[in-house]
Amino acid sequence: MAVSRIRRTTGLVLIIGSLVLTAACSSGGGTDAGTTGSPTAAEAGTVTLLAHDSFVVSEALTEEFTAATGLTLEVVTAGDAGTMVAGAILAAGSPTADVMFGVDNTLASRALDAGVFEAYTATDAARLRPELAGDTADGRLTPIDFGDVCINIDDRYFADADVAAPTTLDDLTRPEFKDLLVVEDPGTSSPGLAFLLATIARYGDDWTDYWQRLRDNGVSVAGSWTDAYTGQFSAGGSGGTRPLVVSYATSPPAEIVYASDPKPTRPSTSVMTDGCYRQVEYAGVLAGASNPDGARAVVDWLLSEPVQADLPLSMFVFPARADVPLPDVFTRFAATVPAPLQLDAQQVAEGLPDWLAEWGAVMGR
Amino acid sequence: MGGGDGPLNAPRWLGWAWAIPAAFLAAFLVYPVIVLGARVGLGDGWSGLTAASTWQVAGLAAVQALASTILALVVGIPMANVVSRYRYRGRALAQAMVTVPFVLPTVVVALAFRSLLGSGVPQGFALVVVAHAYVNLAVVARIVGAQWAQHDDRYENVARTLGATRWQAFVTVTLPGLRGAIASSAAVVFVFSFTSLGIVLLLGDSTTRTLESQILRQTSVLLDFPGAAATAVIQLVLVTGVLLAGAMAGRRSPRRTMRPVALRPVPAGLSGIVVRVAVATTVIIVIAPVAALLLDSLRAGGAWSTAWWSAMGSVDAGTTRIGSPLGALGMSLGYALVTAVIASIVGGLAAVAVLSRGRARVVALLAIAPLGVSAATLGLGTLLAFGRGPIDLRGTGLLVPIAHALVAVPLVVAVVAPALRATDSRRLAVAASLGARPTRAFVTAYGSVLRVVMLASAALAGAVSLGEFGAASFLARAGNPTVPVQIVRLLSRPGEESYGVAAALAVVLVALTLALVLLVDRFGMSALQRSARTA
Repeated sequence: MAVSRIRRTTGLVLIIGSLVLTAACSSGGGTDAGTTGSPTAAEAGTVTLLAHDSFVVSEALTEEFTAATGLTLEVVTAGDAGTMVAGAILAAGSPTADVMFGVDNTLASRALDAGVFEAYTATDAARLRPELAGDTADGRLTPIDFGDVCINIDDRYFADADVAAPTTLDDLTRPEFKDLLVVEDPGTSSPGLAFLLATIARYGDDWTDYWQRLRDNGVSVAGSWTDAYTGQFSAGGSGGTRPLVVSYATSPPAEIVYASDPKPTRPSTSVMTDGCYRQVEYAGVLAGASNPDGARAVVDWLLSEPVQADLPLSMFVFPARADVPLPDVFTRFAATVPAPLQLDAQQVAEGLPDWLAEWGAVMGR
Repeated sequence: MGGGDGPLNAPRWLGWAWAIPAAFLAAFLVYPVIVLGARVGLGDGWSGLTAASTWQVAGLAAVQALASTILALVVGIPMANVVSRYRYRGRALAQAMVTVPFVLPTVVVALAFRSLLGSGVPQGFALVVVAHAYVNLAVVARIVGAQWAQHDDRYENVARTLGATRWQAFVTVTLPGLRGAIASSAAVVFVFSFTSLGIVLLLGDSTTRTLESQILRQTSVLLDFPGAAATAVIQLVLVTGVLLAGAMAGRRSPRRTMRPVALRPVPAGLSGIVVRVAVATTVIIVIAPVAALLLDSLRAGGAWSTAWWSAMGSVDAGTTRIGSPLGALGMSLGYALVTAVIASIVGGLAAVAVLSRGRARVVALLAIAPLGVSAATLGLGTLLAFGRGPIDLRGTGLLVPIAHALVAVPLVVAVVAPALRATDSRRLAVAASLGARPTRAFVTAYGSVLRVVMLASAALAGAVSLGEFGAASFLARAGNPTVPVQIVRLLSRPGEESYGVAAALAVVLVALTLALVLLVDRFGMSALQRSARTA
């Protein structure tokens, strides 16, 4: 009995082991054919899009892409934008996909320096918003969407407390807003990093003084946007106590879209439009792509009218195209930021290690 | 040295048990790290090896991990006792419940703690230690429990007869008998806390940084690859040292005859009350954060509601148009099953290899190395090695369970190896001397022990897979999210619904894990009882 059971187990082990080996060998056998660059993918008419884990687009649009081009769109994710770009830089020249979406203006220069992208100008590039039209790194990147990282305000809190909400970055250091703000750690969170860059863009070399004043005024530092907004923000739904949080200019419309029925007529949060940092997300054809034609088609598709119109409610960002109508909830509740802050990408790439270290020293983290 | 460690007359195949785990680890652990290392090099990173800041982080992480381990042992050992030794109504449920915190995605644990304790509790050392201890209770309770369940009470009875007090008998007889399991689980808990990422990022502050959080920052924010490589090397060396120390401590434990599990009735009188109170406390500790999540999932717009539960099936409530939250269940279950199979085979054979000599031992050590290899490093290495031609495994859907198995294999070894070592190998000699063929003798000596611990470790491996987030978001295709990935996606957007549905989905994940572990435990127990009857 027992012996036969052991034999059976051993047999199973051998079967599974050989399966694993066969899988490894058969894909290893592709080495010879692989010199011509994964012909299997091209024959099957597949194009692979590398995206960060927040990338979402309506399924109908993916099907339209296939109908229009005959190509199957495979979307692979590789963590958040930073991790994805790190992977792309390491694989530069022999990429894990054909085209990448989601590299933003804080990361772009590093990816460009590493030679990750190949030049391509999208068919509809002329339709880009004027301020984005030149933002293409010599044609290697195509702006797809943008958004602003801004302080969000719990309106009910300030109405109840009968205090006027802050309107500028300087206000946040005033005593009436003591212990009311939660920000994200710039070393671990993308909006946290954007907020740090906003303060550097605003205060220049004095930015550490500003953070010292924020610290003295009781700012709370959360590890992630989720912890800050959902955990500590008083309008985040789980009993947080701080009415000011670093989030996005589009968070108020998202509050409406993802509210329980019946939907409220207006959001309970608003946006402080001073001190916002502008994030732009780009797409680009990866150098060495096995399906470069497909990759170009994906860039065109991302900038096409239907996809651009889908972006606001899929990812809560603004389309990069000028001629796409915004959904009603956006025009009514998303903040338009008159003068967003931005730093030069090269400056960010060079300064970041020191900035993060200095920020850590000031904040005791 | 060690001449007496290997069983005499071991079956011939035992000598080759190391081959499969060796091949697996070479392909999916060593090769990706080499590919990444060749691409990155250490370059200027060597300066990182001596950077004071790196060693300061390592020191802080060691203190934090030590505190987490002590707390997990203090709470987990009594838990191991009451959930794996006594017979009472609901015991199996209590035992399964202890496993649950281990599989919750860290972001869910962090939220549950926030929800339970309120946002007034300051982030930092204490919160991180409590969260680490909570998550790792299962490691202590399952590893120590598996050995304690087979512990022969007669040794204590002898001590008591000779005049020892109950406490003396526990300290001088019981604890030494459990030493291997305690050392093994302590080393694992220490390493998990030392290399922790999610909980440290979400609940920590400057005093709780880990090398892993440092590596992630160097990789994904600073894009400083040589620096990250240097930090990863330091982490690997330190973790390997700890694991070796744990393994050495375990090897010195005395060998005793193990008895097939026979659950004791809860004693009458005072000690019975103590056991019952301990069980109740165990259940409350484990369930409180989950109960907080459950309450959150049932509140909408300030009133009781089932809105979030009914929204789980809808596509729009999910990942905005990728699929319904519940749709991820099938994906997660599939991965968990494949992970359990791979990890049991690889880890089980590596643990058996511990019994033999020479190079096989090296494999057993290599099998626990994934605990020390930085997850960020391994993820990038895997992507470079298997995410593009000529060997592109992403399309096969195997990369995620393979990554999960790498995490689970050390756990399997940690469960199985101490139990095998504690088994009296003289039974093998006896069986052999009575004329049994080697395989038959091996089964007689180790069969019943193996069956219990393999089932326990398969459950752990499946559970690890169910709760894992990093690899599932890094190595997967976008259209096939797992439950933790769905939860994190929901949590990464504003709105009451996002949080409510995420809480509900986390409760489903807990229930699923509970069911899985219960099922495996039950199957394991009946197999044991069968073997006890035929013995």
